[in-house]
Amino acid sequence: MNTRKPVAAALAIVGYIVMLVPILFVVATAFTSGSTLRFPPEGLSFQWFDAALSYAPFTGALLTSLQLAVASTFLALAVGVPATLAIYRGALPGKGLVEGLFLSPLIIPELVVGLALYQQLIITFRVDNWPVLLLGHTALLLPYAVRVTGAALAGSDVSLEEAARGLGASPLRTFFTITLPILRPGIFSAALLGFITSFNNVPLSLLLQSRESRTLPITMLDYVQQSYDPMIAATSTLILAATMVIAVIAERTVGFAKIFGGINR
Amino acid sequence: MNTTTPLRRNPEDHPDPQSAPAASFKNVSQVFGDFTAVDDISLEIPAGRLTTLLGPSGCGKTTSLRMLAGYSQPSSGTIYIQGEDATRLPPERRGLGMVFQSYALFPHMTVAENVAYGLKLRKLPRAEQDRRAQESLDMVGLGHLAKSRPRQLSGGQQQRVALARAIAVRPKLLLLDEPLSNLDARLRVQMRSEIRRIQGETGLSVVLVTHDQDEALEMSDEMVVMREGKIMQQGAPQEVFGAPANRFVAEFMGYENFLSSSDGATLTVRPEHLGVVPAGTSQGPLGGLRLQGHILDLAYRGVDVLVTVSAREANGREVRLMCDIRAEAARELQRGDQVDVVAPTASLIEL
Repeated sequence: MNTRKPVAAALAIVGYIVMLVPILFVVATAFTSGSTLRFPPEGLSFQWFDAALSYAPFTGALLTSLQLAVASTFLALAVGVPATLAIYRGALPGKGLVEGLFLSPLIIPELVVGLALYQQLIITFRVDNWPVLLLGHTALLLPYAVRVTGAALAGSDVSLEEAARGLGASPLRTFFTITLPILRPGIFSAALLGFITSFNNVPLSLLLQSRESRTLPITMLDYVQQSYDPMIAATSTLILAATMVIAVIAERTVGFAKIFGGINR
Repeated sequence: MNTTTPLRRNPEDHPDPQSAPAASFKNVSQVFGDFTAVDDISLEIPAGRLTTLLGPSGCGKTTSLRMLAGYSQPSSGTIYIQGEDATRLPPERRGLGMVFQSYALFPHMTVAENVAYGLKLRKLPRAEQDRRAQESLDMVGLGHLAKSRPRQLSGGQQQRVALARAIAVRPKLLLLDEPLSNLDARLRVQMRSEIRRIQGETGLSVVLVTHDQDEALEMSDEMVVMREGKIMQQGAPQEVFGAPANRFVAEFMGYENFLSSSDGATLTVRPEHLGVVPAGTSQGPLGGLRLQGHILDLAYRGVDVLVTVSAREANGREVRLMCDIRAEAARELQRGDQVDVVAPTASLIEL
């Protein structure tokens, strides 16, 4: 933290407190030995973690969420990376329009997208919920794929690819030996961001769910509406721990500054 | 491409000025929308020499270099490389070496891997790749940095790595796009002679793009001065500087004094060829130029003094002349003095 800017430092501290303190309350109550979500916890036990991990609706939903996050991230990258290349490197007419199209899911309310997909595909064409859910999540992640990999590409020098061509590399060879290695941190961060975004999503998943394809956040919401016990805090704590593990891996392999620098730029 | 030739040429071999050009442009144009970047140029680039494309920004010099390298296609015309039509060849099949203004070193590779990149693509044995890469790096004086990453190097060192990478493949032509413009002033002057040395040692045909006339004069065997997509003059530095073909080239070469001759042509003369004598005296050369005027300003520069004179031409027009005279000759002169500006006939250049 920069000590020469006291106002900014103070604001940062307030920000951290506002963000972190409620989370600490959740984590603390997860370890209670009592049966209510209350702070301070009534004792120490792991019983609510046991309960969360053996509660079939949660474990089933977790599997669904993971499958959905991995598949939609993969699809978004498969579409988004070539699109990024076309936008930033190709001689595409109407580049701005195409880029706008790929970024539009950021602006259009997810409820509207969800409702549109629900009405058209599930009601009118009777498509299964799962492929529609996958489609919705993929669309949701496309802006991240395009923006983050695009930032990596925009920050690199076009002359790099030209230099490779001049030295004798075919366009395909240039792509694999120069462009892709330059894009790698961008793709990695887009994947990470995409995975987390899909995993946490509520509005789309809420509209497009079915009994067989219910994600973890939706299942947790359902649960909280009926019963308010520490199992939900335990589940949240587990998700938090998993997220931190991912963050540490990301920091160790690529570095946060490099990953999220792509967006801040 | 002949990849078996040694990097260093035999010092006994001198380029034959009569030999076939390394490359040539035949009626080449490049049009972007309604902007003509290169306007019907024809040009021969001599083999084994250093040719500069010189001109202000937007003159078409970089566009011409990029067409030669294959990064853009001419709208019309033909480009030959070593006598063969290369107009439609993609860059990877031209066998050239290019140094970019931004150096364009591959950030995810070491210095040695950068230099070996082109050699790897030519499927040379691994040992030969290493030897070649090391040889090229040694030639630019960076043999000890082979294992470094580009980002660990200074701008000047990155520049040399880019140069080593380009010469390692034994290119048919070495193309340099404003290679010195991102270096600081001292390093720039040092790299001029460095590039000359490498050209001399390898005997490569080099094309260098620059907007700096000093750089072009110092480095070139052949200069091509361009303006608005057209070639204004081509020739050896002595020819271009000593006998500029037109006012544009003269101004670009630093001529500041322009006069009308009695037959309406434009004359130019270098400041150091003008003399300033008190009005009405007979000092100065007989015949030649003699114009009456008065001193507007004197700028003392140590060895010499730059005298600005407002002079009246034979047709009555006022002209401002810059006269660079020795300090002792200016001792008696003051601002406002009536003087004659004189110059010998031989120093007057008709444009």
